[in-house]
Amino acid sequence: MNPNILLVPILAPLAAGAAALVLPKGLKWAREALAVAASLLALAYAWAVFSAGGDGLRLFVPWTSFGINFDLYARHFPRFILLAASGFSFLLALYSASFMHQAWRSREYFAYFLITAGLANGAILANNFVLLLFFWEALLVTLYGMITLGHRGAHITATKALVISGLADFCLILGIVFAWTLSGTMTMSEVRLEPVGLGAAAFILMGIGAMAKAGAMPFHTWIPDAAVDAPLPFMAFLPAALEKLLGIYLLGRISLELFRVEMNGAMSLFLMTVGALTIVLAVLMALVQKDYKKLLSFHAISQVGYMILGIGTGTLVGVAGGIFHMLNHAMYKCTLFLTGGSVERQAGTTDLKKLGGLGRTMPVTAACFWVAAFSISGVPLFNGFVSKEMVFHGAAETGLLIFPIAAWIGAIFTFASFLKLGHSTYLGKPNAETPVKDARDPGWAMQVPMIVIAAGCVLFGLYSKLPLQHLIAPIFHGNAIAAEAGHGGLEFWHHYHGFAVFSVIAGISIGCLVVAFLLHRYGVKKAGGKAYLASEPVHNLPVLHTLYDLAEARVFDIYEWLVGKLLRGGAWVVWKAVDRGIDALYEHVMTFAGRVSIGVLREYHNGLLANYLSWVVGGFALLAVYLAAVAR
Amino acid sequence: MGWEFAVWATVLVPLLGSFTLPLVGLASKPLRNAWAVVLGAATVGFACSLLPAAFSGETHVFNAAMGLGMELTLVVDGLSVFMAIASSLISTLIIVYSLGYIKDYHYQQEYFLMVVLFLGAMMGLVFSANLILMYVFWEITGICSWRLIGFFRDRETVVKADKAFLTTFGGAVFMLAGFAILYAQSGTFNLLEMRGLPVSGLAVALIAAGIFAKSATLPFHTWLPDAGVAPTPVTALLHAAVLVKIGVYAFARIFNYTLALSAESQQWLMVFGLLSAMVAAAAALWDTNIKRILAYSTISQIGYIFMGLAAFNTVGIGGAILFILMHGLAKGGLFLAAGVIEHGTGTKDITRMGGLFQAMPVTAVAVLLCIFSIVGIPPLGGFFSKLMVIMGVVRSGNHAIAALAMFTALLTAVYLLRLFTLVFLGEARDHTVHAHHEGTPSMVWVVASLAVLSLLAGILVQYPMDLANIAVRDILGNPAVRDILGSVR
Repeated sequence: MNPNILLVPILAPLAAGAAALVLPKGLKWAREALAVAASLLALAYAWAVFSAGGDGLRLFVPWTSFGINFDLYARHFPRFILLAASGFSFLLALYSASFMHQAWRSREYFAYFLITAGLANGAILANNFVLLLFFWEALLVTLYGMITLGHRGAHITATKALVISGLADFCLILGIVFAWTLSGTMTMSEVRLEPVGLGAAAFILMGIGAMAKAGAMPFHTWIPDAAVDAPLPFMAFLPAALEKLLGIYLLGRISLELFRVEMNGAMSLFLMTVGALTIVLAVLMALVQKDYKKLLSFHAISQVGYMILGIGTGTLVGVAGGIFHMLNHAMYKCTLFLTGGSVERQAGTTDLKKLGGLGRTMPVTAACFWVAAFSISGVPLFNGFVSKEMVFHGAAETGLLIFPIAAWIGAIFTFASFLKLGHSTYLGKPNAETPVKDARDPGWAMQVPMIVIAAGCVLFGLYSKLPLQHLIAPIFHGNAIAAEAGHGGLEFWHHYHGFAVFSVIAGISIGCLVVAFLLHRYGVKKAGGKAYLASEPVHNLPVLHTLYDLAEARVFDIYEWLVGKLLRGGAWVVWKAVDRGIDALYEHVMTFAGRVSIGVLREYHNGLLANYLSWVVGGFALLAVYLAAVAR
Repeated sequence: MGWEFAVWATVLVPLLGSFTLPLVGLASKPLRNAWAVVLGAATVGFACSLLPAAFSGETHVFNAAMGLGMELTLVVDGLSVFMAIASSLISTLIIVYSLGYIKDYHYQQEYFLMVVLFLGAMMGLVFSANLILMYVFWEITGICSWRLIGFFRDRETVVKADKAFLTTFGGAVFMLAGFAILYAQSGTFNLLEMRGLPVSGLAVALIAAGIFAKSATLPFHTWLPDAGVAPTPVTALLHAAVLVKIGVYAFARIFNYTLALSAESQQWLMVFGLLSAMVAAAAALWDTNIKRILAYSTISQIGYIFMGLAAFNTVGIGGAILFILMHGLAKGGLFLAAGVIEHGTGTKDITRMGGLFQAMPVTAVAVLLCIFSIVGIPPLGGFFSKLMVIMGVVRSGNHAIAALAMFTALLTAVYLLRLFTLVFLGEARDHTVHAHHEGTPSMVWVVASLAVLSLLAGILVQYPMDLANIAVRDILGNPAVRDILGSVR
């Protein structure tokens, strides 16, 4: 097959994005049709690239010096991610066409949307570090642009997102430059490094860049803000789907291919710690949220923890589970955000306090919500269950029990918070405070993406062999980690589904779900039937309560203290002490010295002949002495 | 057209042409304005006509004895041609912009004379391969900038102009002493005959003082923010295009191209670049005057250029040379946009502005693009130059410096976004400050085209990179420079 087709998934959305920007404002339908058509074209070619088989297509064009080449290489891992990313782009283009039709600055929205899709596809296919950075970092521009579209004040969140992501991207750059120094090549498929010394620094820096893109702590703090400020499809598109795919894809490449993460090695512990902390802390934040979108955004952070934990285990099952979880997460979280968008659009609010009983009037939305909620919670027969089990198995295999325990704690609170969310939104009686009475399901363009992705969640849950065998397993083709584990490692999971195997680990996971259910019931009962207050018992626990208050005051927000305090404070000191200090030397010390010496000279230039004559005579005398001394 | 004619024309057309401007101006102002643009454009054209000579891979040298042991030596190679094109292109755009900006002010005759003379002196400096000749052109630019900074003639302005002149002149005196040491060692002022000469730390320090003073680098940097009192096109000319890049060019020509510096000297030069970048970025975060912020930003970015050059390897030097162009385009755009904003609102205080996006959307988008380029975000050109500088610094073994340089890039993002947010977004904080429209067409056109050029320079990076690589290849003749991957095309 002609490798030039690799360009289509990149260039088609980019060109359509540029066209969307210049199309006259009034041609809304044309722009929306263009977005759907371009993303469908990209998807079609992504499928062609995926099904090309073999070792994958490669397009290599020399670009410029220092090993910087335009090098696209669709091997197993990238082409699977490319297919997934293009699929989400298409479905979200469809959803946005309806959702953003009346929105403010919708012209820019579709332009940024398409450019983002193109850049993301580029970053996925890139096989040259600089090309990767080129696409990866350019996403910052559209990220900033898309968040500002929320409302007039959204630029504050946009700046926050740009600075935090910029920090992570700069770490990535540094890591890549270190890796390049060690390996001497910019071609990613040729890099094989040991994570020791400078290599360890390179691994950690690149890992930070990848994990931050996926939304791991502590680089997550812009996401809940964006949930409130940015347009909703943005949340489903970037933080829920595309950024997870990109970040975890890169983390996977780094830890499987560029470096080799040994089980329980230093790098493995680093990743697992980040993963475990992210799971627990973010889910605790999610639990107490009282806004549909904000609650989802904290889960978008928490779930990344499972993926990082899985990849960090360094075991075949764990890594495969982490990557599978990334795909599953993109599916159910995208669905969840889309249901949030339907509720916002149809009912007029996402405040849980004002919602209730929507299940009767919005059955399709509610059904999609419950499917996705069961998936994210890891209920058997849904896709999240399988991938979470794999992560639990991997984590248990390391022998460090703290990590599976953290993962299980996360599972409890995940289910509890989704019971709360679903209960207060879709169950019970209609709420008198809901702005729009009699809210209906949205139109077909918004329904289709929800239904398709939710159906996927069920399919991948019931028939996990399909994604595991065709999408996940090929990634490990020829990889050391698979060779070590033997071929039985993943084969077991190929045949695994819902109730086929009952292990202790699955038993504990199901026990966690039961605990979560009881916790929810207790909370609702305690709050007098108000489901949105179901998490208050946890919220009011002694130590947690203080921590929640601090989190509310943004004490843990890296942006607030790094940029807001440390950076600005440090800069103030440097500005006053160094910059103004040096300037004072010029302005005061030097001018003063100048004035003094002028004064002294003026004093001696008194106009008396005798004075000048004595200088001349004195000068001659000195000259005579000098010459006499030298001439000798 | 032979290269000898072209190089003489590049230098002499603006140098001598500048003196005809006031005469033409006596007859007709529009004619003078047109003539100024023609002189600038002709300089760009002649400089571009030297491209084949530069790409030929040979170093073309014009040498003529001047008597008294002095020589007139002009060198046409990748480095000088790159520098000539980059600075004449941006200068010419600034001349076009000036037509709109300066039309209501006094002293226009002198203004155009000085700007074009400045350009001519810059061209002379770039092509000279003789230290004394370089010094002469160096001081001509100093005098021009002194008059231009003091353009408004009030007391405060004149004091700031004096400060700029005295600082750069003071540095140049040290530099002259450094040249004397080089002469004592080698017996010549001809740089081409001096190549590979090992030099003492003292000579490096003296010459570096001159370079740092001219390029507004720590600790000689404070004149540059103060020079913001000048008319905006002048500040753009000083910061973005010509004046501060003189030091950079001299660094590349003298330290990279000619001399063999010790490892310690290389290290110290890089540390100064880093400190300058960091301190200026910190100051930019707190200042409230739009032109001062941009001036600090220039100081900070020049620090990156010096870091790249001080890496003494092909990636770092290539990145630094590319940086000259990318920074010139983006910073030129930012300064000229600042002029549009100042013209529109009547203030330079960003804390009093706000919500200007509605009134000046073209300027706002151009500013945002230029900001992204300065920060180093693709697909803007600044991405490649900053990345290559970092690559060079890491390759020279200075991992900590590279990390701090990346941190400074974050600071850059923070202070430039603060500027953008305060000026263009939100609501106006001071209701006496508002603008109803953008600047004159020539002003907005130039701002927009600089932003577009920044974008094109990133997407089509191979063309400027090829040009920069020619310069790097010339420098590689110096055995003190390390080749990386043997990868210069």
